Amino acid sequence: MDDGVNIAARVGSRKNITLWLGAVLVGVPLLAGLVSFVWTPYALSDMVGGRLETPGWAHWAGTDRLGRDILTQLMVGARVALVVGCGAVAIGAAIGVMCGILAAFATRFADDALAAFFDILIAFPTLLIAMLVVATRQEASLGTAILALGIGLAPIVGRITRILTKQVLGQDYIVAARVCGTSWPAIVLWHIVPNILPFLGVNLALQFGLAVMAEASLSYLGLGAPPPNASWGQMLQEAQGTVYSAPWGAVLPGLALFALVIGVNLLADGLRDRVSSQRGEA
Amino acid sequence: MHFRIDHAQARGRTLLMAMTSVSALTLGAVCAMAQDVDPQAVVNIGSLYEPQNLDNTAGAGQGINEAFNGNVYEGLFVLTDAGDVEPKLVDSYTTSDDGLVYTFTLKDGVTFHSGDPMTAADVKTSIERVTAEGSASSRKSTLDVIDKIEAPDDKTVVITLKTASISLPYNLSYVWIVNDAAEDISASEDGTGPYMLQEWRRGSALAMVPFDAYWGEAPSNGGVMFQYFTDATAQNNALLTGAVDIITSVQTPDALARFADNPDFTISEGASTTKELLAYNDRVAPFDNVEVRAALSKAVDKQKLLRAVWGDYGTLIGSFVPPTDPWFVDLTDVNAYDPDAAKQMLAEAGYPDGFTFTLDTPNYDPHPIVAQFLQNELAKVGVEVKINIITANEWYTKIYKAHDFQATLQEHVNHRDIVFYGNPDFYWGYNNPEVTRLITQSEAAPDTDTQTDMLRDANEMIAQDAASMWLYLYPQIVVSTSNVTGYPLNGLNSQFFAADITKAD
Repeated sequence: MDDGVNIAARVGSRKNITLWLGAVLVGVPLLAGLVSFVWTPYALSDMVGGRLETPGWAHWAGTDRLGRDILTQLMVGARVALVVGCGAVAIGAAIGVMCGILAAFATRFADDALAAFFDILIAFPTLLIAMLVVATRQEASLGTAILALGIGLAPIVGRITRILTKQVLGQDYIVAARVCGTSWPAIVLWHIVPNILPFLGVNLALQFGLAVMAEASLSYLGLGAPPPNASWGQMLQEAQGTVYSAPWGAVLPGLALFALVIGVNLLADGLRDRVSSQRGEA
Repeated sequence: MHFRIDHAQARGRTLLMAMTSVSALTLGAVCAMAQDVDPQAVVNIGSLYEPQNLDNTAGAGQGINEAFNGNVYEGLFVLTDAGDVEPKLVDSYTTSDDGLVYTFTLKDGVTFHSGDPMTAADVKTSIERVTAEGSASSRKSTLDVIDKIEAPDDKTVVITLKTASISLPYNLSYVWIVNDAAEDISASEDGTGPYMLQEWRRGSALAMVPFDAYWGEAPSNGGVMFQYFTDATAQNNALLTGAVDIITSVQTPDALARFADNPDFTISEGASTTKELLAYNDRVAPFDNVEVRAALSKAVDKQKLLRAVWGDYGTLIGSFVPPTDPWFVDLTDVNAYDPDAAKQMLAEAGYPDGFTFTLDTPNYDPHPIVAQFLQNELAKVGVEVKINIITANEWYTKIYKAHDFQATLQEHVNHRDIVFYGNPDFYWGYNNPEVTRLITQSEAAPDTDTQTDMLRDANEMIAQDAASMWLYLYPQIVVSTSNVTGYPLNGLNSQFFAADITKAD
């Protein structure tokens, strides 16, 4: 008996560690990004230091080739990553959830067509879709990047929403609600959305990580928000030429990117475990 | 060496730096002499430019010029590493008074690697290979001026021109003299140079051995091997591990950190011909206004930019003309850095609150970082720069072809390319009739001194007009193991003469 309790406790604490580690890894850039709105060590594009200064008291993360403070860029980069991640997920969720629920409710034929359409779009790399969207706009900007990535994420969200909705639709309580004369919009609002939200939420967290990575890739290619505007991907691109003489310029934004994406994944994992264990208890 | 000192004097502000590299070189030479030079040693040269084939009229790329110019093939003239045009396979030549007829007398005793003697007929076919309809030579258009080529006897070539062209000897320096009996030279060769092709291993190396019957001085090494790399890191590693002895050009200062302060390696800085510039579209407002262009030039601290991009390397020249062009003159004082004056000039030109423009920026290094630097500097005088990142392909169609831009960044690599400013239809649209006249008429100059004077005047006018913003001249950096000396420093037109390279034990 004792053993069983111990194992349960250990599993529980491991879940907690995952959750907490995720929260910390996401929390630090979140905090840095928020702080950057009111305070940064230096102004973003001021060439305040020498060329490629090593990290020290004046510049905690060193300076880049133009003598700009890297810590400042990292903080503003965190803001950009979070804004793009949240924005893209919001757009992806808005389009995806709507289309997914519609597909689940549609006639057999329309449902199959939409499902096939989602699959085709998913087969396209998100980055490629984003590049196409950027190409149709005249100039690259933060808004374009968010829109592009949001559109790229929509089919993934749509497919999951459709499957989750279908599962819920098969439940007895939906039939009961129908029998009671509840309208479809009310069913969607009161029964479907609350029931798919926990699973969808975990998935959206994963999509957030995907969006952050894709934004870095776009910026690396020069298709992200144009300067003056720090982005981790752009920092990586600029530090590429000096990776031997000033490795911190490439390592730090790379680490930040890694930490945020892995943090979001851990957080999603921890949340999923918590959600499923609660379901299990209920 | 003589040239290097001239160059150092011209550089003024960077004199100290250049002197250091001169003394480093001298030191290198002394060290090598102290050791025993091995005349049989094979010199391994690392390069990033593998030729597509071995024929420079068949789209082989710059790599074939690097490997073969002056090594396997020679021209009637040679462009020396110092930028002078000297006779090579020509013994003497005369020009008619109207400048339309050149009569060349060829050197005696020159034979091709196959054993055939070089004759006037070979020279005629060689030039016609470049001007032929199917020729893909990048230099084809410069020889359009030729009306006809005659070979009255074995030793004499007569070239008649449509209009006078003082640059003909220069333009002939990149025409290889090939044996007219050679059938296909895309995978083999038959030239007159000091080296013969021994083996070409596609994708990896080109080996050359000394040609025993060479008419001139024999090479001071036992052969050269060009080893090709697809990326700079692999190339640098090859030098570090001793797989190659020299790398012909270093593209980023970062790579140098691994060789600097290491007595096993010598870093030499020569003068390149690659110029980084901000080209305005001089046709559109506000860049059609000289005052505005001059003001922007004064607003940018180019020394600081050069340091940011290249560390301690590179040069400021203040114009489009590099020190290896005969008409070079140091113009760094024209529209020199003075942000206060810049602000005032902008106000006088009618832009007291500045203006906004879009800078089309190629997406590869160093352009994006240069663009951000300019954005910063120009913001200080109230001019807002919008950076629009584009690909090399977009640059070609949007800017070079369609002239659809306000300003752009680009690097121009050629030697003697000031002529672009004499063409009002060029992408940047600079149009000063006096400059166009000088540049056009300089071709018909009676002698090279007059040509040089005319082009120097033109260059000064272009600089006064601030036609573009000339940011800096790239360095040409060669890194070698310290037991190797005698290699060319400037590498003009991608040439890399190997015959004087020596390698000590």
